[in-house]
Amino acid sequence: MNPNRRIAVINALGLACAFASTAALAQDKVVFATNWKAQAAHGGFYQAVADGTYKKYGLDVTIQQGGPQVNNRPLLPAGRIDFLMTGNLLHSFDNVKNGVPTVVVAAMFQKDPQALIAHPGQGYETFESLKKAPVALIAKDGQFSWWQWLKVTHGFKDEALKPYNYNLGPFLATPKAIQQGYSVAEPIYVEKQGKFKPVVHLLADHGFSTYSTLIEARAETVKNKPDFVQRFVDASTVGWVNYLYGERTAANAMMMKDNPEMTLDEVETSVALMKQQGVVDSGESLKNGIGAMSEARVKDFYEQMVKAGLYKPGEVDLARVATYQFVNKHVGADLKAKLAK
Amino acid sequence: MPGRPLISLQRVDKRFPTGVVALQGIDLQVAEREFVSLLGPSGCGKSTVLRLLAGLERASAGVIDSPAASAARTADTAFVFQDATLMPWATVFDNVRLPLRLAGETRAACDTRVRDVLHLVGLAGFENAYPAELSGGMRMRASIARALITRPRVMLMDEPFAALDEFTRHKLNDDLLACWQTQQFAALFVTHSVLESVFLSQRVLVMGSRQGRIVAEVRIDEPYPRSAAFRSSPSYLAACAELTAALAELHAPIDQVVR
Amino acid sequence: MLHRISPLLSLLALLATWEGLVRLAHIPHYTLPAPSLVVQTLFANFTSLAGSWWFTIKITFGALILAIVGGVWIASMFALSRRLEHALFPIAVVLQVTPVVAIAPLILIYVASTTAALLLCAWIVAFFPILSNTVLGLRAADPNLRDLFRLYRATPWQRLRLLLVPSALPYFIAGLKISGGLSLIGAVTAEMVAGAAGRETGLASRILEASFRTDTPKMFAALLLLVITGVAIFWTFNALSRVLLGRWHASEKP
Repeated sequence: MNPNRRIAVINALGLACAFASTAALAQDKVVFATNWKAQAAHGGFYQAVADGTYKKYGLDVTIQQGGPQVNNRPLLPAGRIDFLMTGNLLHSFDNVKNGVPTVVVAAMFQKDPQALIAHPGQGYETFESLKKAPVALIAKDGQFSWWQWLKVTHGFKDEALKPYNYNLGPFLATPKAIQQGYSVAEPIYVEKQGKFKPVVHLLADHGFSTYSTLIEARAETVKNKPDFVQRFVDASTVGWVNYLYGERTAANAMMMKDNPEMTLDEVETSVALMKQQGVVDSGESLKNGIGAMSEARVKDFYEQMVKAGLYKPGEVDLARVATYQFVNKHVGADLKAKLAK
Repeated sequence: MPGRPLISLQRVDKRFPTGVVALQGIDLQVAEREFVSLLGPSGCGKSTVLRLLAGLERASAGVIDSPAASAARTADTAFVFQDATLMPWATVFDNVRLPLRLAGETRAACDTRVRDVLHLVGLAGFENAYPAELSGGMRMRASIARALITRPRVMLMDEPFAALDEFTRHKLNDDLLACWQTQQFAALFVTHSVLESVFLSQRVLVMGSRQGRIVAEVRIDEPYPRSAAFRSSPSYLAACAELTAALAELHAPIDQVVR
Repeated sequence: MLHRISPLLSLLALLATWEGLVRLAHIPHYTLPAPSLVVQTLFANFTSLAGSWWFTIKITFGALILAIVGGVWIASMFALSRRLEHALFPIAVVLQVTPVVAIAPLILIYVASTTAALLLCAWIVAFFPILSNTVLGLRAADPNLRDLFRLYRATPWQRLRLLLVPSALPYFIAGLKISGGLSLIGAVTAEMVAGAAGRETGLASRILEASFRTDTPKMFAALLLLVITGVAIFWTFNALSRVLLGRWHASEKP
């Protein structure tokens, strides 16, 4: 073989090897839909994209935002997305009750940040006083889920209910009004726009013991591609560790690009609140790692909802609500220890 | 026999806000029990004459002497339009009784009179029909019946038979004359048909398209009742010829639409 | 005979196709439920859905009656005074073109009673066709008839009662046919915005609830009731039109 020919063959072989090795590290495409526009409460996921964690786990992840008029939930059973972020276990209970084949694989938040906020100095300092509010601004999603629980368990009335359209205006303008919000988000905006610190009542402190920011997948995905699911859960967990305890500038930048109305200041304040309130990392996750879930707690929450009249006893097969095979493995514990130093 | 003058226009001008001059110094009169036709091409102002006499327009100058144009409580005048102008939502009975109803009379009180006048115009049996269910000729009969119900002293008619076919028109001409002979009203009949004006009237007044007043008058002395044979008699044809000639002299293109 | 039942036949054919498609393609019930499942769900939940159905019907007809009263009253004002019409008509147009889905949230906040807010939203959607058609109708009286009434010295009241109102009737009925359907749409739109608010809730709210709780068959069941309501309204006003105009108006002639 003449020298030029040899070089050409070597190059060709080299290229072939490169292709082969890329094929070995082929990235699985993942579409992950959230339940709101990008905010600090999604930080861990954006972190895993921004700092390449997902790529390291062989996943090419696209995050699809939710939003005020967007409902991403039907996309999961329809096969249009791979994983879905949901806000509480009620959605999962409903799915199982109605025969929709989805299952929870991880719980990123140990505490649901769902809260009711009120103007200070209007007599809403106690949670019990909230049900006397003449106007309660609750959005559709809440109206048909935890509002029902508030009615039965805490005596709230539909007469006070008014639709909340994610516009702070009506709340700010009506001192006697209360509205929903995430304890780690809305109070920041209220303080900024309304120039006052609202009174915040976390539903989790009054019996709403659900996990939050759950990762849901199709039951068939869990059955047929468990390794794929495990990688996504693990990478997301690592993302959260890095986001909370490590360097999150890139993640923040990415979120602000997706949601231009958010400022860095708001994001950082929100992160601080998340840590302070133990939303992501507290209780079980301190022992078993972020994303931890326990069957006992799911069962307990379900029984409380049955008591609240949302479900009939035995109506939901809890075995199909969540699978615990992907969590409670201390993923990210070493990293956290390293960052905390 | 015609009696004293009942309605008249004396040196009447009519100028419309658009600037159109419909009438200029027009003089005409119709006596009691007289049948007069007003003949002329479209747009010559014939309808304006009727509307002035009916009190539906005011004169720009001159005097109008007519019960309908005065402040009198009852008009004693009836108007027949070219279009039957019936209320489509009401039966023939209710259409015909309208003038009496507007005067405050109840349905029961009018019953006989309405039926009689319907019989007179040949619509007996159609009391409960709706205008949409009648032919053009029958609708016009109903319109005439409505005009006659108050026993008016003056009948103003604006080309009432123009939209009908010849056969129907001839029949209605005969019936109209019969009514006139019985009821003895003064009639001013506007038409653009020479043949019709001669058949019906005692006097035919000719209007030109731009003069805005009467430019010729022809007397028809044939006695009533006038039969179909009259339409082929020498005096009829002579009168028609005279009127046709008079019109031809005045013929001019129409460039304004005048009511 | 075939002519009369052909709409029914085409409907049955459509339902059969739907049912067949779902069964053959194994479409999951939470994506597209088969008609048989929808009907089953309807019967299973009828008592609870019936209450919401009644509420929606109340709002729809309440809004329609208010639209008739308001529309006819304002139309009469406009027919009497062209100046008034010229001054106020633009406001009516603004109300008509503003999408109720955008202003409903604001109305729901500022009007204390949710029922009143729903009525108002549905009214805004429904009143305009009645207003504009009735104005047209009141002006549509045959000019020759007007002259005739003048000739016989009719009083203004006689003119209104015996001439203007009957002349306006076909136009009013045309507006009514449109507004009947619109008041249902307005009620549903307002309910969609209101969600679970208020002491009673209507069918649209139940549709929303079912959709949020991933109970697709129930969603369709509530939707079916809405469709039935819409069709019933359409038929009722068509029949009314035939009764009132059948004998004399061109619009009802075969």
